[in-house]
Amino acid sequence: MEILIAQIFNGLSIGSIYVLLVTGFNLLLLVAMIIHFSFPVVVVFSMYISWVVMTLTGSVTLGVVGGIASAIIVNMITAPMFQHIMKDRGSVDINATMVISMGMGMVITDILSHTFNQGFPIAFPDALTGNDQGALISVGLVSISRGQVLTLVIGVLFVAFLFWLLYKTRAGRAFRAIAEDPNGAKLVGIPLLKTGFQSYALTGILGGVTAVLMAVLLGSASAGLGDQLGHKVLAVSIIAGLGNLTGGLIIGLLLGILEAIIQGYLAGSWSNAIAFIVMLVVILAKPKGVFGSKL
Amino acid sequence: MSLTLFYYLAITAIYILMSWSIYIPYRVGQLHFMTVANMAVSAYFAALMAINFAWPFWLVLIAGTLLGALIGFLVSNAIGDAPCFAVVIVGFTFIYLTKTIIENVEAFGGPLGIFSIPKVLSASADNRTLLLIVAYALVLITGFLITRFDHSRLGRAASAIFIDRDLAVSFGVDVKKMGMFLQTWASAVGGMAGVMYSFIMRSVSPNHFTFHLIGICMTMLFVGGYTTMWGALLAAPILWGFPLILPEALQSWNIVIYGVLLIVVLVIKPEGIITRPMVKKIESLLSGKRKKV
Repeated sequence: MEILIAQIFNGLSIGSIYVLLVTGFNLLLLVAMIIHFSFPVVVVFSMYISWVVMTLTGSVTLGVVGGIASAIIVNMITAPMFQHIMKDRGSVDINATMVISMGMGMVITDILSHTFNQGFPIAFPDALTGNDQGALISVGLVSISRGQVLTLVIGVLFVAFLFWLLYKTRAGRAFRAIAEDPNGAKLVGIPLLKTGFQSYALTGILGGVTAVLMAVLLGSASAGLGDQLGHKVLAVSIIAGLGNLTGGLIIGLLLGILEAIIQGYLAGSWSNAIAFIVMLVVILAKPKGVFGSKL
Repeated sequence: MSLTLFYYLAITAIYILMSWSIYIPYRVGQLHFMTVANMAVSAYFAALMAINFAWPFWLVLIAGTLLGALIGFLVSNAIGDAPCFAVVIVGFTFIYLTKTIIENVEAFGGPLGIFSIPKVLSASADNRTLLLIVAYALVLITGFLITRFDHSRLGRAASAIFIDRDLAVSFGVDVKKMGMFLQTWASAVGGMAGVMYSFIMRSVSPNHFTFHLIGICMTMLFVGGYTTMWGALLAAPILWGFPLILPEALQSWNIVIYGVLLIVVLVIKPEGIITRPMVKKIESLLSGKRKKV
């Protein structure tokens, strides 16, 4: 029972990371109208940049700033490329953006595996992860680290902030109007291009924060991490229903908990495989999502 | 024939078949990456049957192709009419699962794979010649079938689904059946490529069937042009051969080169280098017909 409780807490922490990634993916899908399959690869790239800054300067604060800044910069640099494709929305289908994003993922992943730390996985300093300070709470077999608590708290706060932004502010209404009906939004004077770029900036910040939280929670990263996260994020958003933010939140947390529980009882590669089998069964049974697509 | 030339020609044929296996379901707008998993399953099936049960090459080739088709058919029952993204993730998941099972089950050789797959003919030179003839015969047969499909009523129905699914349905096109047919066909081609790969390389390893393979085939298809089968046929030998002539230090960056090329071509020329109007123009030139005014 104690193992189960510990694993559920683990699952909530990793689940909050999935939620942040899926929310970023869905925002880009709804507002910028792109399937940014490699959004998690950009997040892993930001983890690497954060590690480089920390290694070079020895400062955790600068590393965190560097990680967040790199995610925003990558997102903003690639935005015109996607916008160029989507301006011919009538003749070019949305799948083209997914293929371009996959190409971007190929490039980033290969650069990470060739250049940074000679291709070996990177490890973040204890000053960031807090691993040297031991567990925050330890009761029997249940041990909760500072990283887990920090990830969960910041993850919840950030998702709450995003939902507030989307549902309670003027900018959020513009985002949702474009998601609902791009032509109608254009008619009532919402600038599609500008709002699209804003969504890239917002998801850039989201990606940067996620990168830092992942560094704190996982303590390490490898070049292949982005691809694996990319598959999970796409799977979660399909199961939830593409573009469904609330659905993404629920399924993201459920996936985190499912993975953590399996990991408590099985070896690493098999636990991932079982999580994928569960996702596969759900997708095969309901290819259009459990909560319905918002596209 | 030198070993380098043999491998270049043989692997080019495999890439053409694999790019076509992605092209076939993309006729209805589905990126069916499951064909890479089909390739892996049939390649391992071929290796195990040839080593443990001494099955002859021809029997393995037919059985491996049918195995690919069977798996493709079973899965297509669920995703025949699924949206592109769902088909993509099902493909990725199958690749991941196949790789996990291969790496963790001892009978499949674990992470190292299976070696010493028997030759089809005992003399090495004859073996290579035979494999090349078979590989290009399969390319010819598959290419012929795709051409016939593209020029048939079924091909036009597939094009209608690609352009406007709802309109195609209102014209009476059965989207699910078409998706199932194309996915099964593509999986059969993937399985066929897997068997050939097994006998050409004489070894199989889980590292051969990764997301890199998807990236390479996708680049060949989208850079060459996804609206006709000729795009992959043109792009495969060039894109596969081009990194081989680069300096050794640059060769390991081939995935970066492919990725950049894929992005640049899709941004500048979204339909790829070879387009349908271009093919029609060449066809009319070759047949000596002139466009009526």
